[in-house]
Amino acid sequence: MKFQVYRFNPETDAKPYLQEFDVIVERGMMLRDALMEIKRQDESFAFRHSCGEGVCGSDGVNVNGSNRLACITPLSEYQGDLVIRPFPGRPVIRDLVVDMTQFYAHYKEVNPWLMRKDALPEQEILQSPEERDRLDGLYECILCGCCSTSCPSFWWNPSKFRGPQALLTAWRFLADSRDQATDQRLDDLEGPYKLYRCHTIMNCVQACPKGLNPTKAIGHIRSLMLKNSI
Amino acid sequence: MSRTASGFRAWILQRISAAWLGLFVLATLGYFLLSPPATFEQWRAFVAHPVVGTLILVTVAVVLLHAWVGIRDVLIDYVPPLALRLTLLSLFGLGFVACGLWALQVILLASGLA
Amino acid sequence: MAANEKRPVHLNLLQIRFPVPAVMSIGHRISGVLWILLLPAMIFLVDLSLSGPQGFARAGELLGSVMGRLAAFLLLWALMHHLLAGIRYLALDLDLGIEKQAALATAWWVMLAAPLLAAGLTAGLLP
Repeated sequence: MKFQVYRFNPETDAKPYLQEFDVIVERGMMLRDALMEIKRQDESFAFRHSCGEGVCGSDGVNVNGSNRLACITPLSEYQGDLVIRPFPGRPVIRDLVVDMTQFYAHYKEVNPWLMRKDALPEQEILQSPEERDRLDGLYECILCGCCSTSCPSFWWNPSKFRGPQALLTAWRFLADSRDQATDQRLDDLEGPYKLYRCHTIMNCVQACPKGLNPTKAIGHIRSLMLKNSI
Repeated sequence: MSRTASGFRAWILQRISAAWLGLFVLATLGYFLLSPPATFEQWRAFVAHPVVGTLILVTVAVVLLHAWVGIRDVLIDYVPPLALRLTLLSLFGLGFVACGLWALQVILLASGLA
Repeated sequence: MAANEKRPVHLNLLQIRFPVPAVMSIGHRISGVLWILLLPAMIFLVDLSLSGPQGFARAGELLGSVMGRLAAFLLLWALMHHLLAGIRYLALDLDLGIEKQAALATAWWVMLAAPLLAAGLTAGLLP
């Protein structure tokens, strides 16, 4: 199987280019296995990966134009040549390794922890099974970045729009019965940029390797804003 | 514009105006499909009816509001340089005001009020 | 280390695959901007048709010509696409059709229904 791989070495290259590799594909191989084989053929090739089973969220890449998590992308899904590029819209450090600083900064900005006004109780704060169920589809995010870097609104305003990942996280804490900072969290998302750059394009939903739905979470934040404003 | 007006309020205005415009479009298409005006007199009398004329003018205002929120979103996305964005926003704003006044004149003239 | 300062960004839109909902979304934008740009032409046409019997006849001629029909089809496509996509967005706000497969299917319906409706309406309005 032929792989066209995006290459860029800041110390030697003026511009990025595509390099072709030939990898013998065996049954059950994932894209990450092919990238590791390419690295065996040319050890100057750089890409991030760690756990290899879709948990650490390190090896997100753009495959034939779509963002995928390499370790859980079976090569059997593809026929013909594969073109592997780094995530769109992110500064390329080297080859497929991109700078995700801004993406993490947005995550940090939504205060991804429980905020309490009451004093903390001696024991854990209890939740009913129904309250716990509201967090399903929200807490599973692994911050791989497939969603935010496939979002046109994030491409055009990466410093101001929070992006689908951070907004999914914002709703994960707004939806938590133990959190007591609803007003502060909603106020923090006001203005034309942080939340309202989302135009419901839903590229994030198509891209998420964990099957999560950031668009739905964003809709729930807007509904809560509406409820609190009337 | 306050931060509230530019985020949440723009979003909700866009949806309320959209619902109004959707109904107006369906009603207009229905009129032209089912009983299209055959003569100038029929057409003028239809537009000059106080209820119809008022509905048209309200809808013109709603269209311009909807268009303003929409074009602002487009310019925020695609035109990052602030000076150019403000210039384009002002030009569209002026154009919208001109369109509104023109439509007002057309309806008032047809109604014999101007 | 100066070489390290420059970091290329991959954002070639021709090399990125856009799912159908994204194409539908761009269509929503294009159709909206098209209507904004042609708003003066619309008011002109109404103005003309209300200016007197001659103006009314002239507006009918303009719309009935080949160019008029093409323009009407384009505007009716834009109107139908914007309307149907708008209804889809309002439904998404209410959590209807928000799941991945449903959102993909409704985007296809909008893309296919808009030109069909526009063709039907052009034929119905300009017989």
